[in-house]
Amino acid sequence: MSFTQIARSCSRLAATLAPRRVASGILIQSQASRMMHRIAVPSMTSQLSQKFGVRSYSAKSTIEDIKFRVLKVVSAYDKECRGRWQTQLVRRYSAKPPLSLKLINERVLLVLKLYDKIDPSKLNVESHFINDLGLDSLDHVEVIMAMEDEFGFEIPDSDAEKLLKPADIIKYVADKEDVYE
Amino acid sequence: MSTRRQAITLYRNLLRESEKLPSYNFRMYAARKIRDTFRANRSTRDYAEIDRQMAEGQQNLELIRRQVIIGHLYSADKLVIENKKTLKPSDD
Repeated sequence: MSFTQIARSCSRLAATLAPRRVASGILIQSQASRMMHRIAVPSMTSQLSQKFGVRSYSAKSTIEDIKFRVLKVVSAYDKECRGRWQTQLVRRYSAKPPLSLKLINERVLLVLKLYDKIDPSKLNVESHFINDLGLDSLDHVEVIMAMEDEFGFEIPDSDAEKLLKPADIIKYVADKEDVYE
Repeated sequence: MSTRRQAITLYRNLLRESEKLPSYNFRMYAARKIRDTFRANRSTRDYAEIDRQMAEGQQNLELIRRQVIIGHLYSADKLVIENKKTLKPSDD
């Protein structure tokens, strides 16, 4: 790059900068006039937006305007989603299904029926695991573990060895889950 | 001397721990092995022998615990037979 070129580009730069420096003096004035413009305009724009359906974000809308708009959107959303919510069953996995004594009873008996060493025909709420159903202590441990999996909490060994009938398990689970009816 | 309660606790801990094995083959093998071994030795009456078996059980429990950690460090994809069919609302 030659010296003349550099000099030329420098002068061009100076020329572009100069008017801005001048303009900054006028800036305050022009800003003030713009503010005046803002105060005057909203009434006009709101009229315009009502006429043409244009939403202007700079203009302040009244509470009624906002209310109307929000309600319109909400009602449209409701209309859109009404059918969908009825057909789609939502199950929330964070919450356990509500338990009742009857439900606990059914679930305990179902787990026991599915256990291969128990004869479902002999199974009864009052049948003793070891004496009536012919399980040994190892099977009993497995039954208790199946119950833990079913109801989602741990049964300590000291409690587990007292649960010798389905009825005991039902009562224990109900106590743990605070179910009384 | 090992008591009946200790044996039952060991059985339970072994089964619980073996469920955590990430590999299907190891998991199934461990569960089967634990059940069969306990059943095979249920009529053992010799106290020295029971103690020896219990010590071995404890060692195996530690082994399974280590293996669970290692298995999770180097986990592989689940086998096809493990993938339970997930129910989607659109299916029915």
